[in-house]
Amino acid sequence: MEIFVLFGVLFLLLAIGVPVAFALLGAALATFAVADIPLIVAVQRMAAGISVFTLMAIPFFIFAGDLMYRSGIAERLVRVADAAFGRVRGGLGLVDVGASMMFGAVSGSAIASASAIGSTMVPLMDEKGYDRDYAVNVTVTAAIVGLLIPPSHNMIIYAAASGIGVSIGDLFLAGIVPGLLTGGMLMVTTWAVARRRGLPRGHFPGWRAFIRALVYAIPGLFTGVLIMGGILSGIFTPTESSAIAVIYTALVGTFVYRNLGWSGFWEAAQKSVRTAAMVLFIIAAATAFGFALALLEVPAALAGLIAAITQNPILTLLIINLMLLALGTFMDMAPLIVITTPIFLPVAMATGIDPVHFGIILMLNLGIGLVTPPVGSVLFVGSAVGGVPIEKMVATIWPFYLTLIAALVLVSFVPSLSLWLPSLW
Amino acid sequence: SSRLGDGLLTSVDTHVNGYPTVEAVRRFGELLSERTGGRLALRIYAGGQLGNERDTLEITTFGGLDFNRVNLAPLNSIEPLTIVAALPFIFETTEHMRAVVDGEIGEEILASLERHGLIGLCFYDSGARSFYNTRGPITRPEDMRGLKLRVPGSDLYIDMVRSLGADAVPMPLDEVYQSLAQGVIDGAENNWPSFESGRHFEVARYYSLTRHLLAPEVFVMSKASWDDLSAADREIVRQSAKDSVPYMRSLWDAQVEKSREIVLASGVEVNEVDPAPFAEAMTGMWDASLTLPRQRELVERIMAMRGTA
Amino acid sequence: MKQPMSERAADWLVKIAAGGLVAMTAVIGWQVFGRFVLDSSPSWSEQTALVLMIWYVFLAAAAGVWERFHIRIELLERRFSRHGTRRLRIGIHVLIAVFGLIFAIYGAMLAWEVRIHVIPSLGISRLFAYLPIPFAGLLMTLFSIARIRVRLAEEHS
Ligand code: NA
Ligand code: NA
Repeated sequence: MEIFVLFGVLFLLLAIGVPVAFALLGAALATFAVADIPLIVAVQRMAAGISVFTLMAIPFFIFAGDLMYRSGIAERLVRVADAAFGRVRGGLGLVDVGASMMFGAVSGSAIASASAIGSTMVPLMDEKGYDRDYAVNVTVTAAIVGLLIPPSHNMIIYAAASGIGVSIGDLFLAGIVPGLLTGGMLMVTTWAVARRRGLPRGHFPGWRAFIRALVYAIPGLFTGVLIMGGILSGIFTPTESSAIAVIYTALVGTFVYRNLGWSGFWEAAQKSVRTAAMVLFIIAAATAFGFALALLEVPAALAGLIAAITQNPILTLLIINLMLLALGTFMDMAPLIVITTPIFLPVAMATGIDPVHFGIILMLNLGIGLVTPPVGSVLFVGSAVGGVPIEKMVATIWPFYLTLIAALVLVSFVPSLSLWLPSLW
Repeated sequence: SSRLGDGLLTSVDTHVNGYPTVEAVRRFGELLSERTGGRLALRIYAGGQLGNERDTLEITTFGGLDFNRVNLAPLNSIEPLTIVAALPFIFETTEHMRAVVDGEIGEEILASLERHGLIGLCFYDSGARSFYNTRGPITRPEDMRGLKLRVPGSDLYIDMVRSLGADAVPMPLDEVYQSLAQGVIDGAENNWPSFESGRHFEVARYYSLTRHLLAPEVFVMSKASWDDLSAADREIVRQSAKDSVPYMRSLWDAQVEKSREIVLASGVEVNEVDPAPFAEAMTGMWDASLTLPRQRELVERIMAMRGTA
Repeated sequence: MKQPMSERAADWLVKIAAGGLVAMTAVIGWQVFGRFVLDSSPSWSEQTALVLMIWYVFLAAAAGVWERFHIRIELLERRFSRHGTRRLRIGIHVLIAVFGLIFAIYGAMLAWEVRIHVIPSLGISRLFAYLPIPFAGLLMTLFSIARIRVRLAEEHS
C-alpha cells in the first residue's frame, strides 16, 4: 500500500511538471502520512541530507567552474585542447571524457566531476559550435567512470557494508581495468556520435600558435596539477580540494589574467549558489524519499524474489543487475550501497561470485543510476550547469546509456577484467 | 503506533548486520516477541541506511523511529550527564565500567535521557579505544606531538587529543581510510573491531594500546513509542533489553578476539602502553568538561568504585 | 507579495545565500591552511560549513520558487492547450505554496524540538542549524502566491 503511494505520488507530480525536488518531497510526505510517521521527520531528513561534508564538492566545483569561465582560464585551456585534439571530429568531446576520467579518478566523486568538468567544458564546447545536449551527455556519462578508477570512497562504503572484510586495496586494484575499459568505450561513442551529428572539427593552428596557447594556459593547467597533486600528496582531501580550486581560480583570475575582480567574483557566487541550491535541494528531498523507500524495505523484497527464481550464477547476476538498475533509477548511490550490499552480496556469493568482483559490478551499476531519471544527482548537475532541460538531455543520451550498459555486461560476465589485477599482488 | 503494521517496531543501528550491537538488538527483538506472544515484533535497519547516529537519534526523540542503538558521543550534545561515562581514563578496566553502568550510576544516566524524549534501556560494551597511526609506535604522550589524528566531531575527543599534544582533526568516518592512505592525517583511534572492519589497518600499521576510552554504547527507545505501550509491555521491553546485555558482551568479546587475529595476521605492529602519563595529561580537560555539580558527584562515585569491581 | 517586492526579496535572498557560499569557501580554506601550514586544525570549521550549507541551500531554494529555476520535467505540459498549461502551472504553484507551509510549520517545530541540543565544537543550539527552514518555507509560500497572482493578471489582460 505505502509503496504504491510512494511511487504513485512521485510519478503523478513529476508528470504534471512539479519541480523534481517538490515531487520527491510530496511523495515522501504522502507516504509518511499513510504510514503514520511524523511529518517533521521528512523535514529533518531534508536538512540532514545536505548537511554532509562530501556534498560540499558540488557548490565549490560549480563555483570554481564559473570562475574559470569568467576569468578566461577555461577559454585558454580549451584553446590548447582544441589545438591538440581539434582535428578529430568531436575532439573536445574526447577531451571532456579524458578530463572527466582523470578528475573522477582522483576525486572519487561522480557529482564533483560532473560539477567541475561540466561547468568548465559545456560553455566552451557550446562556443565552439557543439550542441549543448551532446556536451552535457558526454560529461555526465564520463563522470561515473571515476567511480571505478581508484581512489573511490564509494568502494570504502561497500567494503564496510559487506561486513565480511573485503579488502579496500583489492577493490581499488579491481576497478582499474573496468574503469579504463568503460572510459575507452565512451570515447568511441563520443567520437561516433560527433561524426553522425557532423559536429565541428577544428584545425591545427601550427606549432608556434600551439606553444603560445600552451604558455598562456599554464596558470589554468596548474589548477589541475594543484588539485590532483594536493590530493595525492595529502595536503587536502578530495572534498577540500574543491574549496581550494575556488580560491586558486579567484586569485589567478584577479591577479594573473586580471579580468575577474570583485564584481565578477560576486556575480559568479550568486550564479553558482542558484545552480548549487537547485541540485542540493533535490538531493535533500531525495534523502527524505530514500528514507521512505528504505523503511518500506523495497530492496529486501526484491532480493527475496531472486532466490525464489534461480540458482544459476549468470541468471542471478543478470537479475541482480536489472534490479539494481531499477533501484538506482530512484535512489542515490551511497544509501543504495549500504542497503543493497547486505541483501544482494550473499545471494551473489551463494552462486560463486567473488565479493571483489561484485563490488565493481555494484559501482558501475549504481553509477549508471546516477545519470538516469527520475532521481539522478549527476544528471541534475549536468542539466543545471549545462542549462539543458532533463527531457532534452534524455532524448539524445541513448547511445551513451547503451555504451554504459554494454560495459556493465562485460564487467559482469568477464570476472577476470576485475580480478586479474588484484590477483597479481 | 501502526506505522508498519500492528505491533511492528523499528530499530536502527549504524553498524552492519552481524556486528555485536545489531545481533544483541536482534536477540532483544526475539525476547520481545516471545514474551508478548507475538504481539510485538522488531524490524532492524542496520548499516546506517536510515541516517547517521545523530540524525536518527533526533528522529527517535520525535517518535519517528522506535528504538536506536547509539554511541555516547551524540548523546553528549543532548544530555550533560552522559559526558561522565565518556571521559577518557575514567574506567580502569572493563569490569569497572560494567559494574558502574550495570549499577545505580548507570540507571541515573539512563533516566536523565527521559526529559529529552528518550527512554534509556541498557548499556552495551564498546570495548577499549586506542590510537593507531601510519608513523610509528606510541609509548608516551610525547610520541603524539605533531601527529594529525582524526577525531569524531565531538568536543570531548577534540579536547582529549589536544591535551596529548597532537593536532585533532575532526573528520567524517568515511573519509578516514583515504586520508590515512594519502597522508592528510597520520592516525585515528578506535576499538579493535572498528579498526578491523573499517579496514584502516590496511594503511595505519601501528596500533598502540592506550585504551583511553571505555565508553559504553546505549540502547534507547523513543518516549513517544514508550508512552503507547501498556505498563506490562514496558516492563517486558525493559527486562528484554537488560537480558540482551550478557549475550551482547559474549558476542563482543568474541568479535574483539576475531578482529585482533585478523589485524595481527596482517602484520600490524601492536604495542602495550603505560596509561599513567596519558591519564595525567587529562586533568585539564576533565575540569573543562565537568561543568555541573551533578556530573562531578557522579565522577566521584565512579572513582570510588575503582578496584572494587 | 507584489511583483517588484518579490523580485527584490528573491534578489536579496540570493545575495545572502551567495554570502554563505563565499563564507563556506573561506572556512574550508582556513581548515586546510590550519591543518597543513599551522599544524593546528580549527575545531569549528566542519560544523560551521555544514550549518552554512543548510542555510544557503534553503534560502536560495526559496528564491528559486520566484525565479523558477527549480528543475522540472515538462513532458505532459506540451500536450495541453495554452489555457490548460496556465491552469496546470497555477495548480503547481498552489502545491508549492502548501509545501512551503509544511516547511514553515514542521521546520519551526523541528528547530524548537532541538533547541536544547548543542552543535558539537560550536557550542551553540542546534536550533540555529534548522532556523532557515521555516523562514524559507514561509517565503516559498509567499513567492508561489505572488506567481499565481502574476498568472491570473496575465489571464485577465
Ligand atoms: Na576514483
Ligand atoms: Na537514477
